[in-house]
Amino acid sequence: MLMTKLTLQGTAQARKHHKARGADSALILPLMAGATPDDPALAAAAKAARFTGKAGEALAVPGAHGFTILAGIGAGRAISDWEAGGGAGLAAAAGRAHAVLLTDNATPEQAAGFAAGALLNAWRFNALRDTSKDKDAPPAEVTLAVSNPAKVEPAWQRAEAMLRGVLYARDLVAEPGNRLNPASFAARLLGLRDVGLKVEVLEGKRLTALGKGALSAVGGGAEHGPRLVVLRWPGKLKAAPVAFVGKGVCFDTGGISIKPAAGMEEMRGDMAGAAAAAGAMLTLALRQSPAPAVAVLALAENAIGAASYRPGDILRTHIGKTVEVLDTDAEGRLILADALAYTARRFHPRAMIDLATLTGSIITALGHHRAGVFGNDEALTAALMAAGEAVTEALWPMPIDDEHREVLKSDIADLRQCAPAGSGAWGGRFLSDACHAAAFLREFAEGTSWAHLDIAGVEAREEAAALGPKGPSGFGVRLLDRLVAMRFERDA
Amino acid sequence: MPDITFVKPSLPRSGALVLLLAEGAALSGLAKAAEEATGGAVSRGLEAAKFKGAKGQSCTLWAPGGGLTKIVAIGLGKADALDARGAENAGGTALVAVQQERDVVIAADGLTPALAASAAMGARLRSYRFDRYRTTEKEEDKPKLERIAVASAEATKAKAAFAPMQAIADGVFLTRDLVSEPPNVLTPAEMAERCKALEKLGVVVEIMGPREMKRLGFGALLGVAQGSAQEPRMVTMKWMGAPKGKKQKPLAFIGKGVTFDTGGISIKPAGGMEDMKWDMAGAGTVIGLMAALAGRKAKADVIGMVGLVENMPSATAQRPGDVVKSYSGQTVEVINTDAEGRLVLADVMWYCQEKYDPRFMVDLATLTGAIIIALGHERAGLFSNDDTLATQVKEAGGAVGEKAWRMPLGDAYDKQIKSDIADMKNVGGRPGGSITAAQFIQRFVNGKPWAHLDIAGTAWSSKDAPTVPKGATAYGVRMLDRMVADHYEG
Repeated sequence: MLMTKLTLQGTAQARKHHKARGADSALILPLMAGATPDDPALAAAAKAARFTGKAGEALAVPGAHGFTILAGIGAGRAISDWEAGGGAGLAAAAGRAHAVLLTDNATPEQAAGFAAGALLNAWRFNALRDTSKDKDAPPAEVTLAVSNPAKVEPAWQRAEAMLRGVLYARDLVAEPGNRLNPASFAARLLGLRDVGLKVEVLEGKRLTALGKGALSAVGGGAEHGPRLVVLRWPGKLKAAPVAFVGKGVCFDTGGISIKPAAGMEEMRGDMAGAAAAAGAMLTLALRQSPAPAVAVLALAENAIGAASYRPGDILRTHIGKTVEVLDTDAEGRLILADALAYTARRFHPRAMIDLATLTGSIITALGHHRAGVFGNDEALTAALMAAGEAVTEALWPMPIDDEHREVLKSDIADLRQCAPAGSGAWGGRFLSDACHAAAFLREFAEGTSWAHLDIAGVEAREEAAALGPKGPSGFGVRLLDRLVAMRFERDA
Repeated sequence: MPDITFVKPSLPRSGALVLLLAEGAALSGLAKAAEEATGGAVSRGLEAAKFKGAKGQSCTLWAPGGGLTKIVAIGLGKADALDARGAENAGGTALVAVQQERDVVIAADGLTPALAASAAMGARLRSYRFDRYRTTEKEEDKPKLERIAVASAEATKAKAAFAPMQAIADGVFLTRDLVSEPPNVLTPAEMAERCKALEKLGVVVEIMGPREMKRLGFGALLGVAQGSAQEPRMVTMKWMGAPKGKKQKPLAFIGKGVTFDTGGISIKPAGGMEDMKWDMAGAGTVIGLMAALAGRKAKADVIGMVGLVENMPSATAQRPGDVVKSYSGQTVEVINTDAEGRLVLADVMWYCQEKYDPRFMVDLATLTGAIIIALGHERAGLFSNDDTLATQVKEAGGAVGEKAWRMPLGDAYDKQIKSDIADMKNVGGRPGGSITAAQFIQRFVNGKPWAHLDIAGTAWSSKDAPTVPKGATAYGVRMLDRMVADHYEG
């Protein structure tokens, strides 16, 4: 959750405020690469410390003017440079109660970007720990100092809508499995009604009646049964909605095909796709997007129990296609199969994008710096790539080839869910599972313009960065928001 | 291997006849002649078999009459959509259907001479067998095919079109032979010896041994080689085919040639280790490519270089933790001795740039298991610092059925190979494993356009394809030959 409060103020007032708070307040100044601060003391410090002004570089200069931080914004052309500067600047202000972001020479969008970066950096998940002794907490109060606050206000509101969506997703991903289960997740999503989203929760008999055999099977072993949550934003355009589909496995033990113990705690984040889809819906609502949008979130806990589904089971999916289960730990694609088909048939969306922490294979392929995008529509893939570049949530296109579909042939069902373990190259070890999973999902998109983002590897940061601490990144929220803004806010 | 000749269309009175039939087309030419000679057996048989001429469809009519043992019909799909790849695939499919016959006529009289040649090329590529080590194969299991006559109304033109293809096929076969050879036979020294066969094609072959490498300071390559009783080699193959007056800087192709990869001290699991005999496929491909280019007298100056080593665990083997100094002067901390291919390439590539100042470099290597986890077996991973070069490689591959997929590079990945005590380490962890391998290689690219093909998933195939029998595929030979032909012989 966001601990930090932001106020917009005129420059003179903000400077006064900063001075009054003494060492408790940090003054953060954006600085372009190669530029020299006007103040001679700061200029000397920058030179001595070999500060280059590269985006995301920060230098703390304690001294006569109180505590000043130079925040590099690179060439300053892209808003992402300003975000990186604001984030890095705020990180350098850790331990202080207050920070002033001095952006009097910036455009409203640049100032808002600088502030958004700062607040993305300041996010912490502190609900479950005592923070009273924290010495390096981010400032609880941030002032965005600009020459004309009224002019910056609309840009800040747009940025804040994005920010709230991202942080909403991060909070959900951070929640542990004993607190966030399909029931409590769905209950939290009901809270989105406050911002004008329509929220439907399908569970129990209603879910069974819809014939979602895959989602029901995956979630069947847990104490809290599966849910399908539908979020709808009406928008203003008379057009079919754009649809987001999210994998929401609140905890993933692997089921009967249980995972090794080491690292299993990270599986509390296996609902990051659903969280990102929900966060994006929140952002669209907060900024009153004209685009109709819908999110369908498949929520389940993949638990081990007497009622767990088994390797070898055949499931009947929402559209009647049967699936042979080989590995109960490849559950994400199963619940998405139902959710994708349901979304396609009920909403006939203009485009359908699913997000899922789906495979370890995508991490081996692309590491932690890019998510994989698969799909059946090159134009949609290209639009997603462009949106991702703009908001620094980078994607890389990945193929679905004949061989990937070929391995999904089952002896006794319409499809099998994955290739058998040990059937890969070099003694069985190497399987292109991310591609196999995408080929599987494609069968359920039923010709709808569709893209699949495999976000395993990027849903949490390995280390602190300008735009957030180590841990949940909220990856996908900004990407989807930008995609909608770029592509779906005009008539079809 | 069967002989391939081109003849004027005339109906054979014995042996087998292959009909290449487009979807929905009426029987004409030789097909019509066969229909008449067999009293309508062709159309009756095709109808009974529900043969419509769809792409890849095939149907055999046994003893149809007219003295023929069989007629094989191969579907071409829609006539106006037929391209060279389609004709090759049809030729390859036909070859399998007639392997137990001695004489075959392929009726390509409905095709252009160029497509008739492509059909012959497909048959040639599919006819490959590696049977050097079979001594007890039963006579009835061996292929009997001796002569393929491709019937074309313009047989002379088709024959001319086939001549360069034949040279390319020879290059492909050379690569397949090298990759198929067992590692006790194909040592670095033996592989270098076999490169000398290219001399009769006009290729200049230079072989370098460990003493010279040591003198030059190939610390990275020699570190890999030091655990093996087999001496390393580096082979340079030069084909100077550019016409006088059109000389430019040469093109360079570089191959990883680890003739067997145990993994070294970081030894591999036993399951599947036998596959590591083809860890020299990058080098094998470069050698076959040079044979293809020289064989068809390509009008380009091309340098092929291969680094040949064996990676063994032994008392003298390199250890995880060792730091080696590469020929470039950069130092490498060896974290995992099983990431050895990049060490070999590092020295060969730097040497290539210093010595030949090439226009560009393309390297091929069975480099990472990670590329299989990323892409599978249909496509190689393509990494490049140059969009034009990458596009040329990818498009040339697409035209010959050797597909590649572009993969990313970037500073964020490069950071993963930072070392605490040397200029870099040789592995960057599991995440993005083939990308960090490419980043490593890129550290040895000295401002040249460069493309890297990670062919770990495509060098060897576990199932038959129309023009590639299972086993060594020679992936890359045709792709890069095509790239040279399309862009660098003007």
